[in-house]
Amino acid sequence: MASESTPSSASGLTFKLHPLVILNISDHYTRVKSQSHGAPVSNSNGASASIPSPLPRVFGCVIGIQRGRTVEIFNSFELLYDDSTNSLDRIFLEKKQELYKKVFPNFYILGWYSTGSDAQESDMQIHRALMDINESPVYVLLNPAINHAHKDLPVTIYESELHVIDGIPQLIFVRSSYTIETVEAERISVDHVAHLKPSDGGSAATQLAAHLTGIHSAIKMLNSRIKVLHQYLLAMQKGDIPYENSLVRQVSSLLRRLPAIESGKFQDDFLMEYNDTLLVTYLAMITNCSSTMNELVDKFNIAYDRHGRRGGRARLHESYGL
Amino acid sequence: MDSLAASAEQALKRWELENNITDAIYFYDEAKHAKIQQQKPWVKEPHYFKRVKISALALLKMVVHARSGGTIEIMGLMQGKVDGDTIIVMDAFALPVEGTETRVNAQADAYEYMVEYSQTNKQAGRLENVVGWYHSHPGYGCWLSGIDCSTQMLNQQFQEPFLAVVIDPTRTVSAGKVEIGAFRTYPEGYKPPSEPVSEYQTIPLNKIEDFGVHCKQYYSLDVTYFKSSLDNHLLDLLWNKYWVNTLSSSPLLANRDYVAGQISDLAEKLDQAETQLHSRLGSLPSRKKE
Repeated sequence: MASESTPSSASGLTFKLHPLVILNISDHYTRVKSQSHGAPVSNSNGASASIPSPLPRVFGCVIGIQRGRTVEIFNSFELLYDDSTNSLDRIFLEKKQELYKKVFPNFYILGWYSTGSDAQESDMQIHRALMDINESPVYVLLNPAINHAHKDLPVTIYESELHVIDGIPQLIFVRSSYTIETVEAERISVDHVAHLKPSDGGSAATQLAAHLTGIHSAIKMLNSRIKVLHQYLLAMQKGDIPYENSLVRQVSSLLRRLPAIESGKFQDDFLMEYNDTLLVTYLAMITNCSSTMNELVDKFNIAYDRHGRRGGRARLHESYGL
Repeated sequence: MDSLAASAEQALKRWELENNITDAIYFYDEAKHAKIQQQKPWVKEPHYFKRVKISALALLKMVVHARSGGTIEIMGLMQGKVDGDTIIVMDAFALPVEGTETRVNAQADAYEYMVEYSQTNKQAGRLENVVGWYHSHPGYGCWLSGIDCSTQMLNQQFQEPFLAVVIDPTRTVSAGKVEIGAFRTYPEGYKPPSEPVSEYQTIPLNKIEDFGVHCKQYYSLDVTYFKSSLDNHLLDLLWNKYWVNTLSSSPLLANRDYVAGQISDLAEKLDQAETQLHSRLGSLPSRKKE
């Protein structure tokens, strides 16, 4: 958990990954896998029995923006892999790059991706080939094996570093940590698809329920993480675990931030937001009431309308239940 | 224990099927599609297609693209296939065109882009054809404007099967749920049977005429989503990193301008309604005193 709070990498760059990239790679892989397996098998049992061949590897390019020390990977696209020369098709890459430049003019090629369980020696060749486009490309590796035991995302980001091994300077892959970055719209659609919430209509009640469920699970996560931290600190106090200064320092800085909520300025801002929300809700209520009132008046009018109607209609107001 | 495990597996399979987590859908059957293209069952029946299935990836791409446009309408194309009365959208890509209300057809270089993109995609293993187009209506709801209607009618004459999808990224963010609609137009002169009233959505005053004039010329299709098993697994794990964003996001803060705009639009509508009311039922106030 310590590595999550301080994203570190050998070269000091911070990596931010967008969920779109992850879904892109997964979709590419699923397509290639299902195409290479001929006729579709509709139940998972059949599929697992008919895969004796090794899982296919897919390759592609990742694009995004690099601002100073932060590398943000936004999107990705597929590439052709030439098995004989163990390299990526260069012309294809350039064609695709042009196309993507037209729609997303800000994005540069930041690196490449592939699927598999571990970085391999042959990958270094591909990595080197890309070095003339981007001087230090990143290598995103997705492990498509579905392992329910692992609770971590099977995506790793590798950078290349020049190390002197046995007197020869060689490039080796070094793992870097990354954070998941998202824009609001992305988060909502990922949330939506992840939990397949009711998309259209549903009453306001079901939408509210769905929203609250999301918040509830988020709070549950927060709670469990805090509990884990708590246990950890208790164990350290008792002496079960060796004392780790850096971690304790981080925790204490976190705790010291909490009193900020009590300060005057925070309360002012908070109350202003709160009042704004209440005002808008009040306005909505008033509009609702006035529309109900309008309907009531309409019904009243119909019941008591004397122009051109018989007298028997005056009794109608009883049936309206006014 | 064995029977328990077996029934659990059955339950899982059933749940997967119900929730559209199937990998079979990713397989592209060339022969089957060529046959459907020849048969053209949609020519005889204007209301042939009833449902749309959108893949998780396509949805994410479209929403992100729509949001990145800000207040400018963007457009793009969708690739996929046809299955009975369902149009399946597997992927989407953006087109480099500026969206304006006066645009009737994407310009020539957009077509060039489309052809080149489809070609490179086929090489890279994406074999589906273009099956529709999508564009965004930032802030004013999911419906087809007059221009959209005529574009779609043209598309449905020459590029069948074709689908029109509209996304509203602003309302998505402010409502916290995805605002998306899938439409197909009726051919000229066709009188649709009366449809059940769809979910009410507020349309801003300046667009309301455009909406009203054409709203009977098209019908909306049911939209469902699907994802692969790998997608599902990844999304589950993604949630472990996501929960912070869920807690920290606040739809009010993100969408202040939009909310303010909506309130002022509502005020204008009320003004209009009030003036109409006074002109029609001028005698009303005096009645109440009796």
